[in-house]
This record gives sequence, structure tokens and C-alpha cells, in this order.
Amino acid sequence: MKKLITLVVLLAVVSGFGLTANAQDDNWWATAAAPYAGVTLHGVSESTPPSNYAADVLAPQFEALTGIKVELEPTSWDQMYDKAIKDMEAGSGIYDFVYIEQDIVFSYLAQDYLVDLTQALVDHPELAAPDFNFDDFTTFIDDFKNAEGHVFGVPMEAFVKIYLYRTDLFGDPEIQAAFEAEYGYPLAPAATHQQHEDIAKFFTEYGEENDLDLWGTTVQAASGHSSSFYEFFESIAPTFGVYNWGINEENWKATVENGGQMNSDAAKEALAWWVSLLQYAPPESTASTWDEVAATFAAGRAAQGWVYGENTAWIASDPDRSQVVGQVGVAIPPLAEGVMEAAEAGTGYVGYYDGGAFGIPHSSKNIEATLLWLQFIGQPSVQPEWAAAGSRIVHDATFDDPLVVEMDAQTNGYYTLLQEQGYLFKGAPAHPFHAQVRSVVEPFIWQAIVGEITAAEALDQAAAAADEEMARLGYGQ
Amino acid sequence: MRQNRTAWFFLSPSLIILFIVGLVPFFYILYVGFFDWNAFSLQKGMHYAGLENYRRLVFDQPFINSLLLTFRFAVYAILVQLVIGYVLANLLATDFPGKWFFRVIHTIPLMVAPLAVGATWRLLTIPGFGPVPFYLDRWFDFEYSISANASQAFWTTVIMDVWHWTPFVTLTMLAGLTALPREPLEQALVDGANRLQVFWYVKVPLLRPIILSTVFIRLMDALRTVDEVWMLTGGGPAAATRYTGLYIWRIVFPKTDYGYGSAMSLLTLYFTILISWLLYTAIGQQRRGER
Repeated sequence: MKKLITLVVLLAVVSGFGLTANAQDDNWWATAAAPYAGVTLHGVSESTPPSNYAADVLAPQFEALTGIKVELEPTSWDQMYDKAIKDMEAGSGIYDFVYIEQDIVFSYLAQDYLVDLTQALVDHPELAAPDFNFDDFTTFIDDFKNAEGHVFGVPMEAFVKIYLYRTDLFGDPEIQAAFEAEYGYPLAPAATHQQHEDIAKFFTEYGEENDLDLWGTTVQAASGHSSSFYEFFESIAPTFGVYNWGINEENWKATVENGGQMNSDAAKEALAWWVSLLQYAPPESTASTWDEVAATFAAGRAAQGWVYGENTAWIASDPDRSQVVGQVGVAIPPLAEGVMEAAEAGTGYVGYYDGGAFGIPHSSKNIEATLLWLQFIGQPSVQPEWAAAGSRIVHDATFDDPLVVEMDAQTNGYYTLLQEQGYLFKGAPAHPFHAQVRSVVEPFIWQAIVGEITAAEALDQAAAAADEEMARLGYGQ
Repeated sequence: MRQNRTAWFFLSPSLIILFIVGLVPFFYILYVGFFDWNAFSLQKGMHYAGLENYRRLVFDQPFINSLLLTFRFAVYAILVQLVIGYVLANLLATDFPGKWFFRVIHTIPLMVAPLAVGATWRLLTIPGFGPVPFYLDRWFDFEYSISANASQAFWTTVIMDVWHWTPFVTLTMLAGLTALPREPLEQALVDGANRLQVFWYVKVPLLRPIILSTVFIRLMDALRTVDEVWMLTGGGPAAATRYTGLYIWRIVFPKTDYGYGSAMSLLTLYFTILISWLLYTAIGQQRRGER
């Protein structure tokens, strides 16, 4: 009896202590935010699962705690950039925080668009939240630092563009036997480009024979949208050993004759291979951007393919949106010889480590209140549910959370792969002219997709155009 | 004199607004067109470039292609709209059961925002999911893909524009038809002209000012088409539907090449004014001829 009373008292003390700690946390937010209560913060972001979670779940929580309203505008990728860049360039102060995708941060830093968050927290110690710590973040935060190690964006999503495959199809004994009989090796997630092509061909024919809406692979080949440029240069070309878009970062040149790789033999082989996959891809592929590729896979229309990892959780677990719940496997993408070794040695990479952060433009009219909001979304306590909803992890500790461990099982190890092999992937190169060079290169990729020119012609012309554009911008002259 | 001042006083709000929203941006674009200004250039800010942006334009083959493509798009779309619009206007000028219902239904596309039109047509035509490619394939074994076939994409944008704007042409034609004097038509019939001769030698000359005015308005619209095509095809596949407006948008926004984009906008404006002026002159000559 004595022991029971002692236990009850102990529990009461511990829970009371916890409640007190929570209350103290809540009090801190309310006190720190008191001068800004009633303020409305405006933000713009790409409409992704993590952004939508921030808008729908975190913003109301923050408002309840602080009285600061957050209006986050999730929009298309193109519109997000248009709005953010125009606002920051004109200094109009429409947005208090903007989404900074990992690939554009170097351009933003070069233009000095963003507030130095490290310095801002030093300058305003009264606004430094007790639970927020830059050290909690994964190494992905390093992409948002300047040379001095100061942080300019609070990471809110991070994921890898991963190879997904259908476990139900790959695990079917009859299909396995038929595949092995035809190709002479067991059916398994593609480890090489030839295997990927074989599997794509096999399942396309399997779909035709069985009157199924099933094709062999996804291809993110929108023939008038930048997403096809990104799939090729950030996901496909690296698996052939062509890194950093094929641009030589020492002299800012893309053509082989000037030391670049954009029109190298390996790049041409990569583009030709990728374009050839269209014959084994669903008809919507030439209109598919990142979202549509995920939708295609979720609709059960492809047996394998590269899909942005932020979609993995819902594809694998949400029966309202996905036809392939419980039938999704993840793996490292197929690679050319030597690429894995280069990635492990840190001289290459196997695919794209994508993500983004929220940063504060200098033009924001509510920098202090926004500083509170960014710390709120960077707290450890909000991370697990956000990770489960959006397949994104930005804190090291989130990997061990029970919610994430459970979701890891449902996705057949996506989070484990992100944690253990994420280092093999890499974000976009640190090009300060990101959108400008992309804009001159992508029309040639589109022409190759629709067959107006060959892969080799496309990359020869693209590399020449990239050299010219970089020189015009003042690089590599 | 006093009356004159009062008139200027009442006109001034409109003139001020016109100056702010019309002339200030125009002169600003004119000014920026003489500068090399890219937000992500190593050399920050605006740098005077003289006529360099205009020199680049002359050799910018994709821009010239987009101009020609836009002109082709405008010609096809307007011609089809004129024909269908004239036929429908004649139909609406007569009485038939359910006429009011047809007139309402027929006018609905005019009320839809261009972006919504583009989005709707995208849903209808998107390869793999849209009902149009699905049924064309199922019923006629016809492969239709606006994201892979340049010609199909171009004609789809023309058809979409025809769907959207034909009601406007119909309404202007209907106004013209109902205002036609009856005497010349009756006189031609009495003189033994058949329906085709009446149409060609009497109606068309009488409708010419209406036709030219309609073409004038539609041409200006067609030459600055952006939103609905952007929603439908994004300018693709490749450059198949990258009309001038879309091309300028790509230069100014994603590429942030403000100086070059301004020069491009001005040159396009110049062409639009030139073509409009030719049409305006034609209308003026017609009116002088009538007097």
C-alpha cells in the first residue's frame, strides 16, 4: 500500500512538473509575442504536403499560443518564385517569410535578400525561444548557412528523390518467374539502368497483356515545364556520373571543350536513356511535373520510378488518396558503374536531396514576429507529426520518434534510408544563377522529349547556351 | 474659356488614373529597355546598354519564331471565329424554339476567366486522364497528346480560343445584322440576286465596318494571349505554343532579365500598334468611301 501511495505521489509530482513545464513554455510564447499580438504574418510557399501542414495545422496552433495570425499562401512552384522574387527585388514587403528551396538559396544569398537569423536571435535575446536550437537540425541546415556559418532559413522540409517500386508486383511469384524466364536474372529493384529499362519494358507489356492501366516506369517529362529539367539534371544525370548540371564550378563553363560536362558522352547517354523510357511510361508523362508523377504512382499506373520523397508517406499509407497503400518499396536509384563509390567518397552523389526552409526577407515589415513563427516551426515538439504527414525530417531526433518509426514500417524503410543513406544524395549545386541557366537550357531538353532533336543535339546546344548565359551574367568571363 | 476649365476639372480624375496606370508603366518599360538588368547578374543593378537589347532581339530566333507563331495563331483563331460567329448571328437573328436558352448557353464562355478556361481545357485534354484523349483513342483509335504532339497542341489552343471568344464575335455580328438597312437587301432580291450574291455583294460590304472592328478587338486580344495557353500547355510541347506573351513572361519572370524583357515587350507593342493602325486605316477608308 505504501509503495502504491509513493508511486501515485511520484506520478503526481512528475506529471505536475510536466504540466508546469508546458505551462511555462506556453507562458514564454505568450510573453514574447505580447508586443506583436494581433499582427498578421504573410508567407508564400510551394504547395507541398509539408507546406500545407504548416498552413493548416501549425499556423492555427501558433495563433492560439501567441495571438499572431499566420497567412501562408501555398501556391504552385512557378508562382511561388514569381511572387517571392518580385517582392524581395522590389522590397515591397508583402511577404514576411518566403519558402526558400534548397536550390535557390545560393542565388538569394548572393543577392542579400534574406535576414541573418543567427544574428537576429543574438540581437533579440528576448525573442530566442527556449526550445529552439539550430543544433537540433540535420546537416541539411548547412545548405542555408553562409560562409561564416550564420543561418538564413529554418528548414521545414527535407527529403530525397527516391526510387519507388511496387512491392506487390515485384513480390508476385508468377511475375517473378516470368521476368526471370525472359531476362535471365531475378526481378528486384533496379540496380543498373539496363535493369530499370528491362523492368519498365516487362511491366508495360504485362499491363498490355492483362488489359491493365499499368506501365513500366514514371518519367517526369513535362514538355513545357522546368520539372523535366530538374528530373534530368538532378536525378538522372548524377546516376550516370554527371554532377552539378555538368557545369564546371571552377571556371563556370558547361561545354566539354571548356571543361564542363553538360554535353559529355555520359550526359548524352543519360538523356537518350531517359527519353527512351517514355515508351514505357504512362501517356501523361510528357505532361507530368513533380506532383503528377506522385499521382501517377499513387494511382497504381507505374511499376517503378523516381518520386519526390515528400510524397512517400501518403502514397504508402493514405487510402483516400492512394491505390497502392502497403505496396510501396523504396531503394537507392539505379546507378552507372563507379557512381556509388564516388558518392561514398564524397566526390559524387546518387540523386537529389531536396527540401526547403522558411526565411525572412529584409523587406518584411514584421521581422521580430516572424522570428517567433520560424522558431515555433523549428521546435522539436512539432516535428514528429509533421514528419509523418509530410515525409520530411529536419531534426536528427525525429527519426527515433515512435510515430516516425511506425510510418517507416509502412513505407518499407523510407525514413531509415533517409537517415542512413541520405548522405549519398546531394542538393542542387551552389549556383548563384540557378533560374537563369535553367531557363536557357530547358527548352533543349523539351525538344529532346518531343523528339524534335536528338539527345546529343539537345545537350550540345544547351551547353553552348549555358556558357553564353553564364558569361552574360558575368560568370566565367 | 471657363467652360473649358470645368471640363478639364471633371476629366482630371480619369486623366490622372490613365497617366498612373497607363503612361507611367509605359515610360518605365521604355526606360528599362535601354538597360542591362538581371536580378541575378554578378554586376548588380541596372547598367546602361543603349540599343543592345534591341540588337539582341533581331537575332533572337526563338523570339522571332514566337512572333510568327502568335500571328499564325491569331489569324486562324479569328478567321474561324468570324465564320462561326456570322453563322450563329444569322441563326440568332431568326426565331426558333429555345432561342433564349441557346443564347444564354452560347454566351457563357465569355463570362469565364481565361485562367479557368485554360484549367478546364487542361482537365479535358490532359493525356492519360482527360476525356478527350480517352474517347478519341477508344472510338477512333486516334492518339491525341497535347504534351507530345506540337501540331495537336497548337490546334487545341486555337480551338480553345475559338470556344472562348466566338460568342463575342456572334454578339457584335448580331448587332451589325440587326442594324442593316432592309432596302438594299430587298432591292438585290428584286433584281434577281441569289442568297450567296446577296451575302457577298450586299451584306459583307455593309458589315465591313463591324467585321473590321471585331477583328481589331480580337486581334489585340489574340496577340497578347498568355493566361489560358499558359494553363493549358505552359507553352509546350517544346515551343509549339510559346506565344509572344508567354515568351516575354519567361524572360521577365523566371529568367529575371528585366531589360531584355522590356525591350521585347516594347517591340511587341509596336507590332500590335502597327497592325491595329492598318486595320484602323482600313475602317477609316471604308467610312470615307461610304460618305
